[in-house]
Amino acid sequence: MKNAWKTLFHYLDVTLYCIRMSILTIFEYPAMILGWVLSNPIQFIVGFATIQFVVNEFGSINGWSYGQLAFLYGISVISHALSMIFFVQGWFMGFIVLEGEFDRYLTRPMSVLYQFFFTNINCIGFTDLIPGILVFLYGCHKISFSWNLANVLLILLLLIGATLIRGGVYIILGTTSFFTRSCNDFGQYTQEIFDKTTMYPISMYPESLQFILTYLIPIGWVSFYPVSNLLGISQKGILPIGNPILAVMGTLLAGILVMIVSGTFFKIGLRRYESAGN
Amino acid sequence: MNIDTLFYVFKTQILKSLAYKFDVYGNILMQTIIMIASAYFWKALFKNASSIQGVTVETMMTYTVISSLISVLLTCNVERRIMKSVEKGTVAIDLMRPVNIFHVYFAENLGSIVALIFQNLLPILLIGSLLIGIPAPASKESLLFFFPSLLLAFFINWFLAVIFGMWAFTAISMDPLIQVKKHLIRLLSGSIIPLWFFPAWLKTILKCLPFIYLYQIPLDLYIGKYDKASLFQGFMIQIIWVIGLYLCYRYLSSRVSKKVMVQGG
Repeated sequence: MKNAWKTLFHYLDVTLYCIRMSILTIFEYPAMILGWVLSNPIQFIVGFATIQFVVNEFGSINGWSYGQLAFLYGISVISHALSMIFFVQGWFMGFIVLEGEFDRYLTRPMSVLYQFFFTNINCIGFTDLIPGILVFLYGCHKISFSWNLANVLLILLLLIGATLIRGGVYIILGTTSFFTRSCNDFGQYTQEIFDKTTMYPISMYPESLQFILTYLIPIGWVSFYPVSNLLGISQKGILPIGNPILAVMGTLLAGILVMIVSGTFFKIGLRRYESAGN
Repeated sequence: MNIDTLFYVFKTQILKSLAYKFDVYGNILMQTIIMIASAYFWKALFKNASSIQGVTVETMMTYTVISSLISVLLTCNVERRIMKSVEKGTVAIDLMRPVNIFHVYFAENLGSIVALIFQNLLPILLIGSLLIGIPAPASKESLLFFFPSLLLAFFINWFLAVIFGMWAFTAISMDPLIQVKKHLIRLLSGSIIPLWFFPAWLKTILKCLPFIYLYQIPLDLYIGKYDKASLFQGFMIQIIWVIGLYLCYRYLSSRVSKKVMVQGG
């Protein structure tokens, strides 16, 4: 028992050290931080503005008002930011595998899974949080969202679940690099698909696509199901839940499941790993 | 002799692009999902309206498919290519070779686009026609105008990319800038949301920026949303952008290679 605690503290220590290291690295290039601080907010705020133009023209998007869409968009961007902070390595796995970086993980005396998940903290992801929180608060204000303890708790749990779903999907996609031994650089497309399926209500897509997004690749749980139930929107797509607590638990469960699948897939892939670097 | 060399680069790049099969299927699948999602986005919006801004839902479907195809043709990796070669220092060797480095980049880009036409454009056109609807042009005339406009868009895109890429020679970390450019093109060029839906003040600003000349103008021609005046104006501004960016590229490329050589010496 004592030993287990010791190991745990050791791992925590290493994690904290890695976070410190990553913070120090980004301060090495001050101009670059400035670049990211400007570029990431621009991307999401311009994206959000274009949604407004569409809503102005059409009145609403599938029954969602502008404030409700802002809420949805905010949740989507915040979970994107969190997944970028903790799981961005999934996007770069192709490069890690192809350039032989992976060998370094194998030679260290810690679990590869742990190293892969926890020693790549990406502080640049924090710049995505700024526009996410801004749009989210704007949405809350527009729909006069009530900030009671239960709602705050639900939103926190929802964000954890959503981040895990996103992270798990990135890692599953990244793990394919073990099998194909190529740089599957799907980052851009992955983000575009996530944007299209988490920033808009998925109830506007055909039922077959909704089925996939609900049960097979649970992207619908990132924002659509929890938010539509939290805000009590009548159009609930193919799976009417009607209870915000249940919907948020669904998100959390989906997140944990996707993470388990991605961890298992990663382990299977690792067995197939052959160093490709020099 | 120079042309032979560049043709060889072009050929090698095609072969290189064909090497990774999984990437090809993955890209087709993902681009198809994105295209279908866009199509259903418009279908949902047009549910209660037969035509908005003089556009029907059928036109919007054509718009979505053609926009996906244009995005394949405007794929351009030259910024990243320059950035990586500066980072790794291989740019020194590249510059020593007896060919103009920017011509090599151009040949490489053409090579990857030819590969992409078979790997992405044709499959996506086929899937789009089957699942969304055959993207027929408005008329023969509009198809005739579409291709030159697309060619001009290609050059605007390429010169923009190479001018951006040249900043990497001064050893600035380019990643955020490339991202900004990519997202501005994605959001403000009309590739996802057409310019008609934007407010008037933004339209005026965007007409002064190069982005809409990449997607919106060729797309407008394809779906037949133009008149004589706007047709002429669109083409003229596209040509002005190509010439302007070309001059800018000429000026910068001569300065940039000097600068790198000084550093190397």
